[in-house]
Amino acid sequence: MQIQLSAVVPVPLRERILQRQSDIWNRDVTFQPGQFIKIKAPSGTGKTTLVHYLYHIRYDYTGSISVDGKPWQDYNRDQLSAIRQRQVSVVFQDLRLFDQLSALENIELKRVMDPQPYYPQEKTLEFAERLGVTHVLKQSGATLSYGERQRIAIIRALMQPFEWLMMDEPFSHLDDANADKAARLIAEECHARKAGFILTDLDHDQRFDYTVSYLL
Amino acid sequence: MQFNEILKKIIHTGVGRGRFWMASIGLGIAMLLILVALQVHTNFNELLYGSRNQNERADYLVVNKKITNDMMGKPELTVFKPEELKDIAAQPFVEDFSIITAAQYNVRLEADQLGFSTLAFFESVPDSFIDVQSTDWKWQEGQQIVPIIVPRDFTNMFNFGFALGNNMPQFSEETIKTLSPGIVVSQGMRTGRFLGRIVGFSDRISTVLVPQSFMDWANNIYSTGAAKAPSRIIVKTKDPSSTVLTNYLEEHKYVTDEEKTKYSKIRGIVQIIVSAVGFFGLVLLMFALLVFSMFIQLVIESYRNEIRLLITLGASPGQLQRYLLKQFIPMYLVTGVVAFVAITGLQWWASGLLAKRNMFVSEWPGIMSLVATVAILALVYAVNWFAVRKHIAEHT
Repeated sequence: MQIQLSAVVPVPLRERILQRQSDIWNRDVTFQPGQFIKIKAPSGTGKTTLVHYLYHIRYDYTGSISVDGKPWQDYNRDQLSAIRQRQVSVVFQDLRLFDQLSALENIELKRVMDPQPYYPQEKTLEFAERLGVTHVLKQSGATLSYGERQRIAIIRALMQPFEWLMMDEPFSHLDDANADKAARLIAEECHARKAGFILTDLDHDQRFDYTVSYLL
Repeated sequence: MQFNEILKKIIHTGVGRGRFWMASIGLGIAMLLILVALQVHTNFNELLYGSRNQNERADYLVVNKKITNDMMGKPELTVFKPEELKDIAAQPFVEDFSIITAAQYNVRLEADQLGFSTLAFFESVPDSFIDVQSTDWKWQEGQQIVPIIVPRDFTNMFNFGFALGNNMPQFSEETIKTLSPGIVVSQGMRTGRFLGRIVGFSDRISTVLVPQSFMDWANNIYSTGAAKAPSRIIVKTKDPSSTVLTNYLEEHKYVTDEEKTKYSKIRGIVQIIVSAVGFFGLVLLMFALLVFSMFIQLVIESYRNEIRLLITLGASPGQLQRYLLKQFIPMYLVTGVVAFVAITGLQWWASGLLAKRNMFVSEWPGIMSLVATVAILALVYAVNWFAVRKHIAEHT
């Protein structure tokens, strides 16, 4: 699954963006399947906006984003949900867990959304164990710490098949040790699927073997 | 864990559950009203036309034109023209019909035993239209005795009106049958004498009847020449209370025994009531559907953030639609089944009640009621489906 950006400029940030250099905005960029892509973005340059554009939940931009040669706008709702269940997964910066569900249920929701789950439930427990959140699985999403929520959101994103994983500051609330554990798990899962990822962050890091790095 | 089980924790359809219950009860009542209307209609038809309720005989109506002030003195206006007879014969409610042949000669009855004589008249109809069974009801040329059928009303008038008021003896029907009044048939100079024999009393035709064979013979011998057009006819109909029949008579200014057609009025009233009940049911159904749609909108609106997030995470609109519909549909099904069971019970009860009065309707609801139940449920499902789809689409 190839993602092509062609002269994409967010409408609300237009003035600011056109005044400075960017590797992404207002450029033609192609993300090839399987690439590990890092997008370094100082605050206020539209990092979260970009992830939302790539995941197609925000549309206020000029230019176009094409997936497999077809603009996002040309996919209908059913096709979009199929893509989000099978081809593209996401870790939002604001995590977006359901407070009314337990941590485990938040993960399960994603796992069983596809009637033929990609992983059995044991995988959830295994990943939770690896990221050190087993003890909070039964807790309500509302009572978790940011760090715990972040790890639950990562596990949730890994419960489905994907060709691209979008991550918006996925380790922002984790200490280095936990961030490394999470990064290792993500890298393994991407390799297992032959999938690529797009990770946005504020700084440089060496947690992944990035194929390419961009400055937003 | 199933996806829908998790959804249940996110989207509680308990919001405004009270309203949903009210709408369900409304739906139940609406269905019941519609089914009752249909069932009453079916039963009424069965009572009227069903083979088990068929009266032993069809009904006979004597029909003539209404004599108005304008028509007085113009007997040619009161006769039926050939095209009018043809039109009557073509009506669906007419099973058989015949003209009533009037005598074209003068008749005088002389009862020597009682010491009176009176001017009279004869009419005749084919035997199949006569309600009196008598082996004496026949006449052939040369026969001196002419059988006569008189209306039962005549004997009643005589016995209870005339005789009592004039200090005369009352006569039983048997006694009257033994009388043999002399009959004098005449036209100008030609005269014929016969002996009359009353062989029966008719409740059906209010006239003095002689056999058709006698009438034809006498009309031939004693007429003035020109055949008289018929002014009364007798119609055999299966359904004297048919509104089609009464409307036809009214339209053509024909009159008949209103006692026999009075049920058409009752029938009209029943039809209006049934229609009103059915209409009310339909209105109620529409309101129930409206409330359902609003309830669905309320549920989806109150969970719009959750629905947006679910869609963002990849849940398909179809998955959410199916989940939401699953929360409502069982209630509709139960409502439909309860309404149908209720109508089945009512029908069974009504059929028992009617059977005691020798009116027979099916113990089971008609196929129409079943079809209506399924149709209403399908409609409710469709409306819900559209509502869910529309409101979910607003958030995707």
